[in-house]
Amino acid sequence: MSTGTAVSARVARRHPRPPWVGFYGVTGSWPTAVALGIGIGFWEVVGRVAEFRFFPPFSEVLGRLFEMIGNGEIIPPLTGSLTNLAIGFGISVVFGITIGLLMGAYRRVEAALDIYVYALLTAPSLVFAPIMFSIFGLGPEPIIGVIVIYTIFIIIINTTSAVQTVPRGLIEMGRSYCASDWEIFRRIIIPAALPMIMAGLRLAGARAVEGMINGELFIAAVGLGAVISRAGARFDATTVLAVLVLTLSIAFLVVRIIKSIDTRVTSWLPETQRGLR
Amino acid sequence: MIEIRGLGKSFPGRRGNPGVKALEGVNLTVRDDEFLTVLGPSGCGKTTLLRCLAGLVSWDEGEILLDRRPVTGPGPERAMVFQSIALMPWASVLRNVTFGLELRGVNGSDCRSRAQELIELVGLSGFESSMPFELSGGMQQRVGLARALAVEPAVLLMDEPFGALDEQTRRLLQEELLQIWETRRTTVVFITHSMDEAVLLGDRVVLMSARPGKIEDVVEVPMPRPRSAHIDTVEGSAEFREITSQLWVRLREWQVDIGRRGRAAAAGSR
Repeated sequence: MSTGTAVSARVARRHPRPPWVGFYGVTGSWPTAVALGIGIGFWEVVGRVAEFRFFPPFSEVLGRLFEMIGNGEIIPPLTGSLTNLAIGFGISVVFGITIGLLMGAYRRVEAALDIYVYALLTAPSLVFAPIMFSIFGLGPEPIIGVIVIYTIFIIIINTTSAVQTVPRGLIEMGRSYCASDWEIFRRIIIPAALPMIMAGLRLAGARAVEGMINGELFIAAVGLGAVISRAGARFDATTVLAVLVLTLSIAFLVVRIIKSIDTRVTSWLPETQRGLR
Repeated sequence: MIEIRGLGKSFPGRRGNPGVKALEGVNLTVRDDEFLTVLGPSGCGKTTLLRCLAGLVSWDEGEILLDRRPVTGPGPERAMVFQSIALMPWASVLRNVTFGLELRGVNGSDCRSRAQELIELVGLSGFESSMPFELSGGMQQRVGLARALAVEPAVLLMDEPFGALDEQTRRLLQEELLQIWETRRTTVVFITHSMDEAVLLGDRVVLMSARPGKIEDVVEVPMPRPRSAHIDTVEGSAEFREITSQLWVRLREWQVDIGRRGRAAAAGSR
């Protein structure tokens, strides 16, 4: 029996990552490295030439950061912050995806919940900081709460639309083979919705870091937020910016981790669905 | 045996539009191991009829009995091949074919060997680990056919399975479908809008008309079986020409009628 035109060659989907770690290795591609280099160069030049009091050049900020890492003073607040980040984001991922799947699959659940989801997404998340504080008191819990509020609604909304855009024909195909609702979730909806769910997680990952810092700044004098507010009170712009650079690196790293998970779980996407070039 | 008695279904109208009567008073008996083709103009409810048989939609009136038991939903004795093919794009050919088997609780090497056998049957050996997007449309529909046959259905429901394929691929697949059906007989209900396809494949051709979807006639195709080995002779025979041209005479009448009614409605609303 003939098989028609053969398209046997599997397409190589990912560019190989360089095996060595460095600037290029961390950023992943040369356009990122160039863009980052330009930004940092600009900062350095403006800092040196303008001599604004509260805008030290990049080299000075980086020096301060290495100093804080070297003498260990940044380590306890950093680990505290990262722990809160992991717990808060973890809660958001688990509950956000679950609620989003249900809202996407069942119209009644969506009708019941979407007004709350959109209201809470639109509301300035920090409004909840004092409430969290009054419920949980001092300690990491209110900050975890703020991180959850910063991230869960984006995850819910993305997951909901991800489920709603799963081709109807695929779900019907599953039904025709007597699949239960659970089987359809597991075998069809979740894999089909995964690329869009992962896009939501990337957005939420960056916002989680923002929520973490804001929570620490406005609620409790713990973690990296505490370091910033203390330095701010001393008008120590170098330290403030050093922690900011550290925070941005964390956000970048979080997004990168999610992205690498993303490419792994959605490797089935044909090349054409990954942009123009 | 499938018995359809007095089947009626309408779709409610939206925003003031009148509803559409998709099926009205459909009576039909499908014999065991029969290849039944359903032919009609677009919008005649032939796909709706098939979806009722598959248990994917409900209906308003009448009943469908499968071996004397009423159909209330999808069942393991039926499998469907879709016009949209409906392959899972994230799964390899092998995993698409094992889909139905896994849901039936067939697992492990048993599942794989059965899928392998079906992949060979549809001529896709060597493509087990290919992804759907790497395959041509015809090859994709072969996977769809293998997936349906893998669960060894007593009734195979095919919804214009070759409708989206180019003519050359379609002819090849028609031939191969006949070959497969001649060796492993099942009941097949095959929806099509092609007269040649309906007559070439079918033991009987059910002729439907639109608005409301009704069965107008059931035409016997007396051509001998097996047909797969000499499709050209079948299609070249005077009998074949005779049946298809008769079908066209009646379909043409309705097409013209639909056009006339459409123009009248347009003129009325102006």
